[in-house]
Amino acid sequence: MKNFLLTLVVLLAVGASSYGIFYAMNDLPAVRRAAHEGDAMAWLRAEFQLDDAQFAAIQKLHDDYGTVCSGHCAAIMAAKRRHAPAAEVAVLEQFCTRSMMKHFRRVAALMPPGQGARYLAIVLPRVTAYDHTGAPNVQVRP
Amino acid sequence: MNMPENDQSLSRVLSAWRMAPRRNPRFRTAVWTRIGSAARPASWPGFVRAHAAVLAGALALALVAGALVGREEAQARVAAERAAIADAYVQSLDARTLRMP
Repeated sequence: MKNFLLTLVVLLAVGASSYGIFYAMNDLPAVRRAAHEGDAMAWLRAEFQLDDAQFAAIQKLHDDYGTVCSGHCAAIMAAKRRHAPAAEVAVLEQFCTRSMMKHFRRVAALMPPGQGARYLAIVLPRVTAYDHTGAPNVQVRP
Repeated sequence: MNMPENDQSLSRVLSAWRMAPRRNPRFRTAVWTRIGSAARPASWPGFVRAHAAVLAGALALALVAGALVGREEAQARVAAERAAIADAYVQSLDARTLRMP
């Protein structure tokens, strides 16, 4: 009985060690930390392995796009406030979508080879899947 | 055919045969030692050696199961958190989701 229990303990220890090693090997702590903190720029840096120059260029692109985005936002909100026809709001939103996709492609072009395509595969479906609910709660600027 | 005659001579030989084993003064002690060791539980290395095949299989199973569960859990956790931050990131740049003050 004692031998059986000892063997069971050894097997459990081996299983737990194997679990821990493979968990650590497949974990991305930097990505998870950025996600926890809601820091999108830190996420971009960790997820797409940006070097300092790429990170700085993408951050500048985001900062510049922030102004454009605010303009789109203002136009859409103004149209909604004055109860503009749905078609007009839709046109503004389409313009916003095209502008955003263009921005994402420019960001992707600044990323390391292979990472840009992966970035677009993550963000573009989310642009088209927009469901008109929820407010942004992430800090794009660090 | 002289089988009965052979049987008789074999019987004679067998009845004349006498064993003269050498005395072993430690025979009794050795018997009790063996009985005692059979009754005592085997050591763990002995237990492992006795069940080597089963334990090797269980060890392999523990390794593979731990590896698979560890990998799946880590990947699932990263995927969930990646999805959450990616959603928030896209929304932060989406004028359609922004609210005017």
